[in-house]
Amino acid sequence: MFGSTLLIVVSWALLAVFVVAFILRTIRIARLPVHLRWELAPVPHEKGKSHYGGSYLEEFEWWTKPREKDSIKEASYMLQEILLLKSVWENNRRLWWFSFPFHTGMYVLIGAGALLLLSNGLEVVGVQTAGGWQGGISIFAGAGFALGGIGALGLLVSRFVDPRFRDYTTPAALFNLILLLAIFVTGGYVVAASQNLAGSVWDFGTGLVTGDLSVELSGVLQAHVLLALVFLAYLPFTRMMHFVAKYFTYHQVRWDDEPLVAGGRLEQEANRLLEQPVTWGAPHVNANGSKNWVDVATEEMKT
Amino acid sequence: MSAKKVRVKDIGKRGDEVLCPIGPEDLVPLPPPYDNPEDEPAWKELGAATQEKVVCNLDGVVALSLPKPKDKAEEEEYVEKFRAGLKKLLEKNNNWTFLQPLLLSLDYCVNCQSCNDACPVFTASGGKEIYRPTYRAEVLRRLVAKYVKPGGKLFSRFTHGDIDLNWTTISRLYELSYRCTLCRRCAQACPIGLDNGLISRELRKLFSQELGWAAKELHEKGTVLQLEVGSSTGMNQVVVKDNIEFIDEDMADETGIQVETPWDKEGADVLLIHNAGEILAWPENPGAFAIILDAAGIDWTLSSAEVAYDGVNYGLFYDDVQLSRVAVKHSEAAKKLKVNKIVAGECGHQHKAMLTVSDRVLTGELAVKRESCLTLLEEIVFSGKIEFDPSKNDFPVTLHDPCNIVRNLGIVEPQRRILRYLCPQFREMTPHGVDNYCCGGGSGFAVMSPNNFPDWRLSVGGRVKLKQILDAFADQPGPEVPKYLCAPCSNCKGQLRDLLQYYDVLEKSNITYGGLVELIVNAMVDVKEPFIKWEMH
Repeated sequence: MFGSTLLIVVSWALLAVFVVAFILRTIRIARLPVHLRWELAPVPHEKGKSHYGGSYLEEFEWWTKPREKDSIKEASYMLQEILLLKSVWENNRRLWWFSFPFHTGMYVLIGAGALLLLSNGLEVVGVQTAGGWQGGISIFAGAGFALGGIGALGLLVSRFVDPRFRDYTTPAALFNLILLLAIFVTGGYVVAASQNLAGSVWDFGTGLVTGDLSVELSGVLQAHVLLALVFLAYLPFTRMMHFVAKYFTYHQVRWDDEPLVAGGRLEQEANRLLEQPVTWGAPHVNANGSKNWVDVATEEMKT
Repeated sequence: MSAKKVRVKDIGKRGDEVLCPIGPEDLVPLPPPYDNPEDEPAWKELGAATQEKVVCNLDGVVALSLPKPKDKAEEEEYVEKFRAGLKKLLEKNNNWTFLQPLLLSLDYCVNCQSCNDACPVFTASGGKEIYRPTYRAEVLRRLVAKYVKPGGKLFSRFTHGDIDLNWTTISRLYELSYRCTLCRRCAQACPIGLDNGLISRELRKLFSQELGWAAKELHEKGTVLQLEVGSSTGMNQVVVKDNIEFIDEDMADETGIQVETPWDKEGADVLLIHNAGEILAWPENPGAFAIILDAAGIDWTLSSAEVAYDGVNYGLFYDDVQLSRVAVKHSEAAKKLKVNKIVAGECGHQHKAMLTVSDRVLTGELAVKRESCLTLLEEIVFSGKIEFDPSKNDFPVTLHDPCNIVRNLGIVEPQRRILRYLCPQFREMTPHGVDNYCCGGGSGFAVMSPNNFPDWRLSVGGRVKLKQILDAFADQPGPEVPKYLCAPCSNCKGQLRDLLQYYDVLEKSNITYGGLVELIVNAMVDVKEPFIKWEMH
C-alpha cells in the first residue's frame, strides 16, 4: 500500500493537523467573551439544593450567605453524562441503544491506547509487561471495535429509517459515521484475524517517534491506521468536537451562575465589553458607529 | 405543500403557500371532559384584508402582522439587512452578550433530536415539523454556514444541507421565531447542553436590532412605551399613584386592615417593583403585598421614578439594547432612593431579567442588590410576625412553576414551603419544579393577541399546561369543589386566565387562579373575610 517513508510522513502530517487544529479550535471557544448570565437549572454544584434544581437565589439576601459549591456532585453529573449518556437515556431512548455502544467503544479504544502506553512505559523502566499485556490489550481493543461498530452501524441505519433524522442528516454526518464504521471494522478484523494489534500499533508508534523507516504494517492494519489518523486530522473541523464543546456549554453557560462582585474580575471584563462599539442598524438602537454599549444603554429614550 | 413532509430548505420555497398549516384538528387530545374534538374552540379565520396585506404563509397563524413588501426592491433591501444582521450576530462587539452560548449552539448540534419531546409546542401540535426545536435552529445554522462562513457556498451543502436566503425565508423565519416560548426545556434535554431556545431569542434579536422588526406588544407597546412614559401599561407617574391609592382603599374595605403604600421613601430597606400589569389586571396582588409587608413590619417603598414602578422588561425576550436600557432605569431608581435592595414582585421574566441576565450590565454604582419576592415572603411567613390559620386555605391548590423563576433561576422551594405550610390540600403537578411545562404565554406571548394568534397561543402553546392542571385535580375533577391554581407570575397569570376562559374551565371544573400572596393573606388570622374570590377575573 504505502511505502514506509511515505506512511511515516503522512502520519506525522495528519497528527500535526489534529494537534494544531484541536488546540486552535479549543482556544477559540475558550477565548470567547464573557456573556450575560444564562444559567439553567439544575446546577449540580449548588450544595444541598442540586437534587431538586435549587440555587443560591433561594436564600433570603443571598449575598450575605456563603456560597458553597459541591464539586463532587458536579463531577458525578458530568461522569454520568459522559460515560452513560444519561440525557440521551432519559430523552431519546431509541437512540441510546446505538449511541451508548458507539461512545463506549471509543472510550474502550482510548483506554486500550492508555494501557498500551502504560505497559510499554513499564517495560522502559524495567518491568516486564508487554508480552503479557499485549494480547489482553488487543482483545480489549477488539471489544471497543465491536461496540463502536455496532453503534456506528445502528446510528447509520437510524439516519435513514428514523423519520426524525432524515431531513437533518447531512452528507457530512453520513461520511463521519461511515469513516468511523470503517475504522471499527478494520480494527476488528485485525483483532479477529489474530494479528497482534497492540504490538503492531506500538511498533508503528515507536517507528514514528524514532523515524525508523523499516516499520511495516500489513494491508488491513495499514488501512486501519491511516483511516484512524485521517479521522483524527478531520475531527477538529467537524461537529464531532462536541465532546470539547460540552465542557463549555455546561461549565460556562448552563452552570455559570457567578454573580458580579464590585471590583472583581467579572466586573472588569464586563466594563471592557460595555465599551465595545455598537453598529446594529435598527433606528431604535440609535447607534452611529462610535457609540458603545454604555452609550446606547444609558441614553434617554424619551422624545 | 401541507400534505408533504416539510423539509428545512422548504422555508424559502413557494412563498405563496402556507408552509405547514395548523388547526384545532391537529392537536393532541385533552383529558375529559375536554376531550370531545367538537368542543374544541374554533379558530378565528383570517380576513381577506389581512391575508392580502401581511405575511401569513408559515402556519396560517399571524402573530406579527409583518406587512408584505411593496416590490422586489423592498424584498431585496430586507434580505440584505438580514444578511448584515447575521454577520453582526457573530461579532464580538455587537453580540458579546450571547456570543459564546450562540456559537456553541450553532456549531455543535449533531441533530440527535433528544430535545424534541421536551417541547410542549411540538408535542401539543401533534409533531408539526416547523415546531420541532431543531427546525428553526437548523435554518439559522444553514444560513450562517452558507452566507457567513468562508467558503460557505462551496461546502455548506456537504456540511449543513441546502437553504436559500430570500424574502420568503426571512419573513417565515421571523414569524417562526415567535412560535417558541423560550421555556428552555429543550436545552435541559440536550446531551451536549445546546440551547435551541436561545437560538429563537437570537433570531428575534437579529430582526429587532438590525431590521427594526419586533412584536408590537413587546416593542412599541412594550419597552418603547415603558421608556417613554414609564410603564408598558401606559400608566404615567400620576396614574400609577392614583391606582395604588384606590387599591389601598379597596384593601381596607375588603380586609379591615388599613394600608398606605409608601412612595419614594429614601433609605428604605426594600424597593418593591411590581409588574405594573398587576396594578391594572390583578389589583389584589399589589394589595396583598402591601398587607403582608406592613404586617411584618418591613421598611419598604415603591418608586414613582419612570420605569421603576414597572418591573416589566420585555427586552429579555427580543432585544439586548432594550433589555439593558430598562435594567439600567430600575437600578438607577434604587440607587437614587438609597435602598438596601430591590425585590422583584410576582413576575417571572422580571425576576430573570433583574436577578441574572442584566447582572453583567449593571456594573459600578448600578450594581444594586436584587432578590426575589419569594425568598422575602418565605422569610416573613416563617418569622412568626404574622399569625396564620391554614384551615382558611383548606381547598385543593396546585402550583404552576414559572419557567423564568424556576428553571432559569433555580428558585424552587421557597414558594413550596409556604404552600405546604398554608395550604393543607396542596398538590404538585407532574412534572413540576425545574421540569415544569411552560404556561404557553412565555417569551411575551401572554400579552400578544393579534389576529388568530390567541387561538394558537391557547390551544397549542397552553395545551400541555392545561392537561397538567386538570391532571393535578383529577381526584376532584367536577365543579362541586373550588380549586386554586397558584401562579406567582404576572405573564403566566395572563396566559392562564385566557386559557381557563378559552376552555370554560371555571364552569366545567371550578378552577380559578391567582398569585401566592393572595393565599398568604387569605390565611392571615387578622383578615376576617375570605380574600380569595372564586370567580374568573
